[in-house]
Amino acid sequence: MKRLRLAIAGLTACSGCQLSILNCEAELPQLLEVVEFHYFPMACSPAALEGEYDAALVEGCLSMPHEKVLLLSLRERSRLLISIGTCAVWGGVAALKNGENRKELLQAVYGHNRKCSDSYSPQPVHSFVRVDAVISGCPPEKEELLRLLTGLLRGALPVPISYPVCTDCRMRENLCLLTEQSRLCLGPLTLGGCGARCPSMGVACEGCRGPVPEANLDEALHTFQQKGYDRQTVFDRLGRFSPEWKP
Amino acid sequence: MSNQGKIDILTRVEGHGRVELVRKGRRIIDARLNLHESPRLFEALLLGRRFDEVAEIACRICSICSTVHKVAALQAIEQALDVRISRQTDLLRQLAVQGGQIESHALHIFCLALPDYLGVGGFPALASVAPLALQQGLEIKALGNLIQETVGGRAIHPFNLLPGGLGAVPGAERLQFLTDRLSAIRDSITATTAFLSSLDEALPELPALGSCAVSGGPPLFGDHLTTSSGLKIASNLAAAWLNECDQNHSHAKASRFDGKSIFMVGPLARLNLSMPCEYEKLLGGVSIKFSMKARTIELQQAVEQAMALIAQLLDNGLVKETPAAIIPGAGEGIALVEAPRGVLLHSYRFDERGICRAANIITPTAINQAAIETSLRSLIPLINDSGYEHIKLSCERLIRCFDPCISCAVH
Repeated sequence: MKRLRLAIAGLTACSGCQLSILNCEAELPQLLEVVEFHYFPMACSPAALEGEYDAALVEGCLSMPHEKVLLLSLRERSRLLISIGTCAVWGGVAALKNGENRKELLQAVYGHNRKCSDSYSPQPVHSFVRVDAVISGCPPEKEELLRLLTGLLRGALPVPISYPVCTDCRMRENLCLLTEQSRLCLGPLTLGGCGARCPSMGVACEGCRGPVPEANLDEALHTFQQKGYDRQTVFDRLGRFSPEWKP
Repeated sequence: MSNQGKIDILTRVEGHGRVELVRKGRRIIDARLNLHESPRLFEALLLGRRFDEVAEIACRICSICSTVHKVAALQAIEQALDVRISRQTDLLRQLAVQGGQIESHALHIFCLALPDYLGVGGFPALASVAPLALQQGLEIKALGNLIQETVGGRAIHPFNLLPGGLGAVPGAERLQFLTDRLSAIRDSITATTAFLSSLDEALPELPALGSCAVSGGPPLFGDHLTTSSGLKIASNLAAAWLNECDQNHSHAKASRFDGKSIFMVGPLARLNLSMPCEYEKLLGGVSIKFSMKARTIELQQAVEQAMALIAQLLDNGLVKETPAAIIPGAGEGIALVEAPRGVLLHSYRFDERGICRAANIITPTAINQAAIETSLRSLIPLINDSGYEHIKLSCERLIRCFDPCISCAVH
């Protein structure tokens, strides 16, 4: 089998999606037989884009001009470009104050010295280039990344997930934190595929995988309201990972 | 004429940075560390958020250090809101932090630094030149992750650690399983340590740097900083003493201390300040080139400490408990914890509704920038005649001795 030639790049992010690849400890030695980690600055030297890639995996959102240059180069060189993780797919935590003035946010951290004056409100990868597939999650599940890589080896892209975290929760026969315990659990509105990690340990879903397609927002808001959570509180929580949620 | 050469991208480190080598004629006369990571502005993002959201957001600063960020943030929040946690929660958090220490050190030693010692570009090549070391390293790393996952629910961004307690307390059988795995891996760590100690340290001996570490609590925890110069700084004065300032060539603020002294933080600094005698002969010296050895010693320590914590938890008997109830109120809290790369400070102020009104996070790599630049400046004259490519490689290698975490530094 021809080895899969990969470029793995991080933009504005925490490196958690790249680390999730390195966290496939049991599978890494086998992966090395079929995957060439050609550009992967976090783990391999030297870091130089060279020739063409079967796929580019991109972690993180974009918030500075140099990232766009790298992203365009990755897109040009790669047959497939895949957004990895909530920041790349939706904007993520870095985008949680995208409604506010960027200059003021910069001033709050750096004072008045105009540092990073070319920094802009974080945007997801698909705002700049065509994206062939996405894997959401903060961080994504290891299994999703392994499925992605093994699928790519056979010329297949991952099947998009279309169900909410609630479906995962039902599969695990968890007690519903929202209806039974009146907790602000964002499961009904959040993309599934995580096996309901958090609710399974009694922790309300914080929405880290971003919005599920065709989310029934009105119905969910109604339920949240019945449980005592007003719109503002719900949207504040939803906005933690995805600026797409707007009241 | 002076011009600049650049190591464009630092590789095998977390995040984005470069080194600017200032040339005069054929010689390098200066080196500057440029951490050009895009800032996410966490200290601004946290303002206006409720106390129970702060740790969840703040741990996203960095993936490798997410557990220790989470724990430090929780401690600061609990101090601000006067929340008492149970002994069991405290021990479990310590265990999670030790798990993070194991994972981070194993990642650095076996995937990021070892290629330097064997003259290859990264972990993929290790699979052919040192397959056994890579496999053992990955097993150790996986165990560190398993500890974090058992306590925190997830290896990266642990959601199960909450203000006041835990979502679900792990069962005794899962902790017993960890202990079995830890004791099984001890021999493999000793074997790999012997292998690592046999490798040549290619960097020259550089002048020793001052050391700074957290102390006054259980391993990796405490309420003040101590330094090799004999200073003792209480947590409420730590931020002022660390004295973070903006610098033109980096997106990360850097510690200036008193403007004269420079301190490093991290494994070597911790061992310089409190070296357990059984490890003393393993270290070799206090120069930064011995940082890999320091990390292997700490890896062994972390395994021992994780086992001791589990033994204590099992002795006490694990009880199901829910997080302490928290009444939002005005207050300020500061926490100091040792992250794998050194001193980490989280400090928050909340208003009477429990809304975050001030946030300050000081990370190990931000503190270490001055130490890194000083070390680069001492290194360059020693290797200036060895050709540009060699200088570049040596600089990069020296920087990796500090295991920088640039997402943390810039946040």
